[in-house]
Amino acid sequence: MKAGEESLRTLMIRAQKGDKRAYTVLLEESSRWLSRFFAQKIAADVVDDLVQDTLISVHRKLASYDNSRPFLPWLAAIARYRWVDRLRQTYKHEAKALDFDIAQDGHEDVVGAKISIDRLLAHLPDGQAEAIQYVKIQGLSIAEAGAKTGQSESLVKVNIHRGLKKLAALIESE
Amino acid sequence: MNIMTNTGFEISALVDDLRPVKPVRALPALLWALAIAVAGIAAISLLRDFRVDLLAGQPTAMFLMRSGILALLGGATGYSVLTMAQPSVGKQNGGWIIAIAFAALFPLGGIIALMTGDTTLSNASNASVFRCLGFSGITGFATAIPMVLALRRGAPTNTKRAGWLTGLAAGGMGAFAYSFFCPFDSLAYTGFGSRWLWRLPPLPGG
Repeated sequence: MKAGEESLRTLMIRAQKGDKRAYTVLLEESSRWLSRFFAQKIAADVVDDLVQDTLISVHRKLASYDNSRPFLPWLAAIARYRWVDRLRQTYKHEAKALDFDIAQDGHEDVVGAKISIDRLLAHLPDGQAEAIQYVKIQGLSIAEAGAKTGQSESLVKVNIHRGLKKLAALIESE
Repeated sequence: MNIMTNTGFEISALVDDLRPVKPVRALPALLWALAIAVAGIAAISLLRDFRVDLLAGQPTAMFLMRSGILALLGGATGYSVLTMAQPSVGKQNGGWIIAIAFAALFPLGGIIALMTGDTTLSNASNASVFRCLGFSGITGFATAIPMVLALRRGAPTNTKRAGWLTGLAAGGMGAFAYSFFCPFDSLAYTGFGSRWLWRLPPLPGG
């Protein structure tokens, strides 16, 4: 059973007061939510690392949650920050099939749609979004991405650089 | 007992490390910054006389406009900075854009004033310019302290913007404090003198 926004918010308020049981449940639920949130938006073998990084950031920045506001947009802002940060790292990974089972877990409700990574990518021009999608998310080479998008290799690189810079500035936008 | 998430990550360590935290609040930090600006006015008054028009109880229109816009710049930008400490997707914190648009009227007006023969800027002594920079800068730097502390406790997702907005807010508050003592009413002096006061160092650790 998935915890709703209001119950997550209540758990977070209790966690900020030092309630360890509430915090345990909150981290477990957040972990599941984050796995769905990141699915298809980064190579499958990196999702677990990204979830862990985000949970550690959540732990370090508990005080930054304003308990008069919804919880999931706060969690999503931190998750997006970690996601962009990970995309910016010059890692190389093998292109692997994405985990569609996780991706289709139905988290795209009204709130989820507004704070999803898709929504963030939609702010980018098509060329930049495609370059990031193919190279940083699907793991294609620059040359392969260029062939798919019709962009030159140097343009793919420029689009990735500019797109990631723009994503970093748009983390809190709907 | 080790508690594992569905990703296999052990969260027990995080839970064991949990301590009660006091949520970051924008308003108290902003009030601290404003209180420091007021304390700056009090401190400067020990060394300098208030403007003649203020002592006479008849503030000029330029003083009212300048101090009002600087207060708006410092307050609105400071509040925006502090809300950046509490990230949230979809949150609007663009008050700083309006404040900057208002403040930009001074440099624009300054250009026009210079073109139409205002010589106050060239006639102003170095001593008065450095005095203005010194008092405003020191006061502004002090007002930045509560903002920087709040940002460091919080989680701004755009540290670069948070840094320069902190400088802008602190500079606005510092210039506001000194505006009670600045004897000049020239648009050219205000436009180009205050321009430099806004540029404080970026956010430490940002």
